[in-house]
Amino acid sequence: MSEPPKLAESLLRRLIGGRDADAVAGDLRETLEARGGGRLWYWGQALSCLAVRFSLYRRSLPGIGTDFSRALRRIRRDPGYALTAMLCLALALGVNTTLFSFLDSLYFRRLPVPEADRIVRIERQEGHFCTWASFASVRDEFRTVQAAAVMFFFDSIEVGRSGFNADIEGVSSNYSQVLRLKAAMGTWFAPGAESDSEPSMVISYRLWKTRFGGEPDVLGKRLRILNRAFHISGVSSPEFNSSLPPLMADAWVPVTFRSRGARPNLVARMEPGATLDSVKAEAAVISARLRAADPQDQELAKPAVVMPQVGFNSTSRYSFYAPALTMLSMVSGIVLLIACVNVANLLLSRAAVRQREIAIRQSLGAGRWRLFRETLAEGLVLAAGGLVLGMLFGYATGQALEWLLPSLPMALFRGLQFDINWRVALFLAGAGALCAVLFSLPPAFANSRGGLNPAMKGSDVRNSRQREIYSVVQVALSLALLVASGLLVRALGRVQRIDPGFATDRRFYVNFSGRSEFDEKTTPQLYSGLLQRVKEIPGVEDATLSWEIFPNTGFAWSAPTCSPQPSQVRANSVEANYFDLMRIPIVSGRGFVHDAGVQQVILNQTLARKWWPGEDPVGKPIWMGSCEETKGQPGLVVGVARDAKYQSLDEDPTPLFYLWRLQDRGSYLSLIVHTAGDPRQWMKPVLDLAAREGGTLRTYDSDTIDSAIARSLWEVKWQASLLGAVGLLAILLAAVGVYGVVACSVAQRTREIGVRMALGALPLDVQWMVLARGLRITAMGIAIGLLLSAFAVRFLRGFLYGMSPFDPIAFASAGLAWIVIAILASWYPARRATRVDPMTALNYE
Amino acid sequence: MPAIYLGEFEQIVLLAVLRLGEKAYGVPIRAEIENRAGRKVTVGALYATLDRLEAKGLVHSWFADATAQRGGRSKRYFKLLPAGVEALSGSKKVFDRMWEGLHV
Repeated sequence: MSEPPKLAESLLRRLIGGRDADAVAGDLRETLEARGGGRLWYWGQALSCLAVRFSLYRRSLPGIGTDFSRALRRIRRDPGYALTAMLCLALALGVNTTLFSFLDSLYFRRLPVPEADRIVRIERQEGHFCTWASFASVRDEFRTVQAAAVMFFFDSIEVGRSGFNADIEGVSSNYSQVLRLKAAMGTWFAPGAESDSEPSMVISYRLWKTRFGGEPDVLGKRLRILNRAFHISGVSSPEFNSSLPPLMADAWVPVTFRSRGARPNLVARMEPGATLDSVKAEAAVISARLRAADPQDQELAKPAVVMPQVGFNSTSRYSFYAPALTMLSMVSGIVLLIACVNVANLLLSRAAVRQREIAIRQSLGAGRWRLFRETLAEGLVLAAGGLVLGMLFGYATGQALEWLLPSLPMALFRGLQFDINWRVALFLAGAGALCAVLFSLPPAFANSRGGLNPAMKGSDVRNSRQREIYSVVQVALSLALLVASGLLVRALGRVQRIDPGFATDRRFYVNFSGRSEFDEKTTPQLYSGLLQRVKEIPGVEDATLSWEIFPNTGFAWSAPTCSPQPSQVRANSVEANYFDLMRIPIVSGRGFVHDAGVQQVILNQTLARKWWPGEDPVGKPIWMGSCEETKGQPGLVVGVARDAKYQSLDEDPTPLFYLWRLQDRGSYLSLIVHTAGDPRQWMKPVLDLAAREGGTLRTYDSDTIDSAIARSLWEVKWQASLLGAVGLLAILLAAVGVYGVVACSVAQRTREIGVRMALGALPLDVQWMVLARGLRITAMGIAIGLLLSAFAVRFLRGFLYGMSPFDPIAFASAGLAWIVIAILASWYPARRATRVDPMTALNYE
Repeated sequence: MPAIYLGEFEQIVLLAVLRLGEKAYGVPIRAEIENRAGRKVTVGALYATLDRLEAKGLVHSWFADATAQRGGRSKRYFKLLPAGVEALSGSKKVFDRMWEGLHV
């Protein structure tokens, strides 16, 4: 006689319970006795019972179809509320879609090349792995990878007599072989191409389409870059932008640099069998060898870093963009939260309306879990709808940004792609599901809560209190966003009002590149001749020449004493009438004059104060370069010019000196023209003249000084407009929330209002009663929001151009704006309340 | 056409209950299915199906009083309700019609 296992039997009894368990245990015992034993068999059978009983299907799935079809039916019956909820979600999810696809394109994409997971970058902690000079030996030494050298630079490409600025990747000739690149037309470089007398170059598909009209005869065309002639040998495939997306290169040239300072980035393909660890180990060995060969080099002392090429990765680049991206992520997270609260509020007010129905169902035996599940199903349906709409909305925004961003003066933003790939879709699905749970839980609990009595009577204080609290949270969160965008707008206004220290109106510049065929004797004469002819154009009041135009600055070595180590100081090389034309007064001494012999130098006030504090620097010697280079021949300070802004409007006073362009070797000058009217009218005549009479000079860029200043503010403008747009969205959502709560309270108090009206309350009293409710919520929201902002704005400090984040005007105007919004949002329900007919109201329900 | 569709295993279980008549409880039902259909059935699967059939209103079950046999545990007996008989014959008709004139 065999006994059933005790544990299995007690498990059955405990987990199944009741007479069911008894019957099952009896069956099993009977069979066990008939079989004559088999504990293993018994366990198997017992577990099969438990598995069936506790399977997910049995516990939740039966009826899940019913849950969803009921949810859909409820939504169909009242599509207005569902649409509102979905739109709220769609707006917030749309913003998050755009943001995430932005982050995705910045951080998570691999190169569009074969076996992209084998591509790595080799660099150092905030530095480069090796110099160009040592690259060839490094490349040959690596056994685990094939390495290519890349250097991104910005230069003018000269085609015939005109030129344009372009982003160029200077690369080692094995670049295309390492990345396994294909050309849309022609070929990539052959090995050793960097030492050809006229090397080949590859232009991007985009450049081919925009600059060369997609003509097939572009192959073989001759161009000049970096003072060298190249011929076009190929057009890259359209999906490949650069070795470091989203940076977009317009062209690739095989180069090698001999100067010590030039350092390439290394992009490499792992050899078959190599792992990231083996590459790291080898890089450490080679790094040690490089360090031993050149112990003086500080950069080589930094530890070597090998990382997979995913997105815009680099030890230094991450930290550069992190603050702005963190801010964006936080802001769109807040918007999503506000939208969730909105939908939760909507569902809660629906729960209030359905109270009686639910109470009746509960009293008829509907379980809490069942009611809970139904509300959750409704939430999931709403979230799914919001997700689809949000993705469409996000896609549209992304496309708009893709179209707008290239206008920014920043190569990084030109190649950003906002397409929706599986990572973005997955992220969104996750965000949507999280939202659904977040906003369904409060109403689900409200619906499944017990207590039939108050529900049957038709008033639930707890429910409406909860909704008010949510509304307060929304107002507070959106107020914080409003304060933040207000601060950015104020900072923008402030920085725009800063006096640049020179005249900007009715002036434009034309950049020349005289580098290609520079001759120390003829080129300055060429500029002089051109300057004279420009001044003769009718309507041109004056014209001058300058090496640098705001916001670019150059540097030169100089020192107040004859020293072996001069310091690097900002410098500009200008024509004598520059100060007059730019309205930069000479505050002491004089300007440049034609007596020569000695090199004339004009300091700005800050440099004068720095090098000759408390003295008049005019007449003092100044050394341009080290003592050796100047052969003991100093220049002479002839004057001091007033300070101006050179690189950005919010910079601190910066030391700078001016040289006379005829006494300087500069060749890369810009023409500044002061006109009698709208400067744009004179651009074409001046450019035509330059093309006709400019000899070897080539123009490549022209714009007004005003727009050069406006361009320098792009960063704060973009931050202000992005944050402003998101802030507006947040306010819109929160206003919908306040409206919803007030309108719902009016609907619930219809009876009470009717009684009041019947007893003689004036419409104004009733209106005020409703309005006061909206205002009370808002006032609490503003109070909490201001506190929250005071805490949050400290993170904005870095974006405010030195303005204090505790700007009373930004705080006060955000609060006031919200009061106005609250009055507007409560206005309509308040008016509706006064239209309540006492008779109808008393018969209500 | 039958109003209620029966799965194959449901039909087998219903037929076993029908064949056993008054003796239909867990152990004999499983034995019947094993002997006639040649299928091993776990207790869990059998009771899950029977519970489902009961929920659909096709069978009825009751607990008999405990006896001294099988450790003093009670038996749960099953019997077919009219709806169950109807569903079975409906299913049979469907198959009959589908097989009509076919020789395999």
